[in-house]
Amino acid sequence: MTTKDLDASTRAIVIDPGVTLKLRRAGQDTGTVLWRDMIRTTRQPEMLAFAVVMGVFFLVLFNYVFGGAIGAGAGFDYLQYLLPGVLVITALQGAQQTSMGLAADFNEGVNDRFRSLPMNQSAVITGRTIADALRNIAGLVLVALIGMLMGFRFSSFGGAVVAIALAIGMGYGFSWLGAAIAAKVRQPDMVGMLSMFWLFPLMLASTAFAPVESMPGWLQPLVRYQPISVASDAVRGLVNGIPVGDRITLTLVWIAVLLVVFVPMSVRLYRKVS
Amino acid sequence: MATRGSGPVITAQNLRKTFGSVQAVKDVSFDVEPGQVLGLLGPNGAGKTTTINMITTLLQIDGGEATVGGFDVRTQPEVVRQLIGLAGQSAAVDEKLTARENLELFGRLYKIPRNERRRRIEKLIERFDLGAFADRPASSYSGGERRRLDVVAALVAEPPAVFLDEPTTGLDPRSRSELWNTVRSLASNGVAIVLSTQYLEEADRLADEILVIDRGEIVAQGTPDALKHDLERDVLEVHVVDRTDVDTARELLGLDANVTTDVEARRIDIPVPGGADRSLDLLRQLQDGGVSISNFQLRQPTLDDVFLALTGSSVTETEEVTT
Ligand SMILES: Nc1ncnc2c1ncn2[C@@H]1O[C@H](COP(=O)(O)OP(=O)(O)O)[C@@H](O)[C@H]1O
Ligand SMILES: [Mg+2]
Repeated sequence: MTTKDLDASTRAIVIDPGVTLKLRRAGQDTGTVLWRDMIRTTRQPEMLAFAVVMGVFFLVLFNYVFGGAIGAGAGFDYLQYLLPGVLVITALQGAQQTSMGLAADFNEGVNDRFRSLPMNQSAVITGRTIADALRNIAGLVLVALIGMLMGFRFSSFGGAVVAIALAIGMGYGFSWLGAAIAAKVRQPDMVGMLSMFWLFPLMLASTAFAPVESMPGWLQPLVRYQPISVASDAVRGLVNGIPVGDRITLTLVWIAVLLVVFVPMSVRLYRKVS
Repeated sequence: MATRGSGPVITAQNLRKTFGSVQAVKDVSFDVEPGQVLGLLGPNGAGKTTTINMITTLLQIDGGEATVGGFDVRTQPEVVRQLIGLAGQSAAVDEKLTARENLELFGRLYKIPRNERRRRIEKLIERFDLGAFADRPASSYSGGERRRLDVVAALVAEPPAVFLDEPTTGLDPRSRSELWNTVRSLASNGVAIVLSTQYLEEADRLADEILVIDRGEIVAQGTPDALKHDLERDVLEVHVVDRTDVDTARELLGLDANVTTDVEARRIDIPVPGGADRSLDLLRQLQDGGVSISNFQLRQPTLDDVFLALTGSSVTETEEVTT
């Protein structure tokens, strides 16, 4: 590392930081942006409220409207089936909010200042995804509590914790997909629409609301291995205390794939200057 | 405050930038010494923001070179960012955060140690009188308050080079004069400042050196006094009764390129270095020549007149005022 003292009255500037210092500063910057985004989160409680309301909406809609049909036919308590899927959907909803939030961020003037500051530029995105993951935890816990009021029972506390962690992890993976879309498109309206494109098909053609057996045969292999199904199945097994098979492993694989593809992609897209 | 040794803090050499088919900046060069204020004076679209954004690493430089503190903007942007403070054209603060939180955010990102940071933020809040609104979210600020925070945010790191892009546009007169004081006191502390403005008066009051820029090119350069010699002449604005009077007047006045006529508005603008005496002569000359004058006034030159004098063509034709 080389530093140069410009003058006795000013701090030393860093001219050639080593890898260690670069990493330490990247961590510092991410922490700073996280701190800022957490303040913003607390000043916009409607973001959290929206995610929770959506979750509760799905719970009520599917349980009371379709619950009889799906549950009675299959011979199990539908709420025990439904809530895990709703937890995963709620986590992905949070990912959609990352996308819209970042797009709005990029258009705010403060982003221009960030780009003129001696900071790690990807911290703007990393800090944001972490802040959104933290908000997601609050959202999922609230949805789970409301589910319990409706009669849902967790089979064990440990299972519940691991299950929620997996759902948050999947949401986190998708929030980087959202970040890539935001960094590419940059217009909040467009980003909102594009998020619908991936979220809705994935959500409906999944095992979040109904078992794979209830879907057309040609669709079943796709449904079985897509990320929302995999995570829903894993969470469902964990909270009900039933065997999960390959589902936890596949969930972790999906999270890893999302991160490996979309972290570098969003950072590259964000850094692009005209 | 500091720079590396002596010599200019900020240099720009033959800067160029093209957006598609628009040559936003064609050939801009200047140096700014410690304690000096360089005024970039030009109308909307002249290339002021583009010039500032290239030197502050926000835009890629298409051609030419720029340095800050002796470091090349293109090859060492990370070093340059440690040496600059920027108050861009749109107030670049976090709307959801208070002034104090905004300054804390930028102070942390500049890696100023905690105690020093706290001390500086309190000092800045006091010195620039942000106290009354320091703990309210910026979204509730008036234009002047937001602008002030924006400028102060550029100073947290006490950088040796500060860029202010039209810092007083949209400000009321009181906020404007407060900002002028800020700029002066920064300069007296040895900071090198680049300030862009559309106002002749502002450049005149603040800048040690003015660069008049038009369509991406420098059309005049010098100290305010030197430029004023060229620019400070009154303009005699004559309104006539008929359109034909405009042509008659044009013939009578000869081929002076600085005379402008507007047939639609039935108006003739004549620069008059001699002031009142010369104006009376001119009016008599027009009247004797058969021009029917409906109205006239002797006024201070506007930026438009300045550009006319410098470039021979009006830059704000489209928004020319008609009376
Ligand atoms: N991102 C951009 N894309 C295309 N054209 C641009 C862009 N930014 C600026 N321009 C054009 O470049 C010219 C100079 O603009 P600018 O530097 O903003 O002028 P000023 O700040 O003096 O008003 C204008 O013609 C403007 O339309
Ligand atoms: Mg501008």
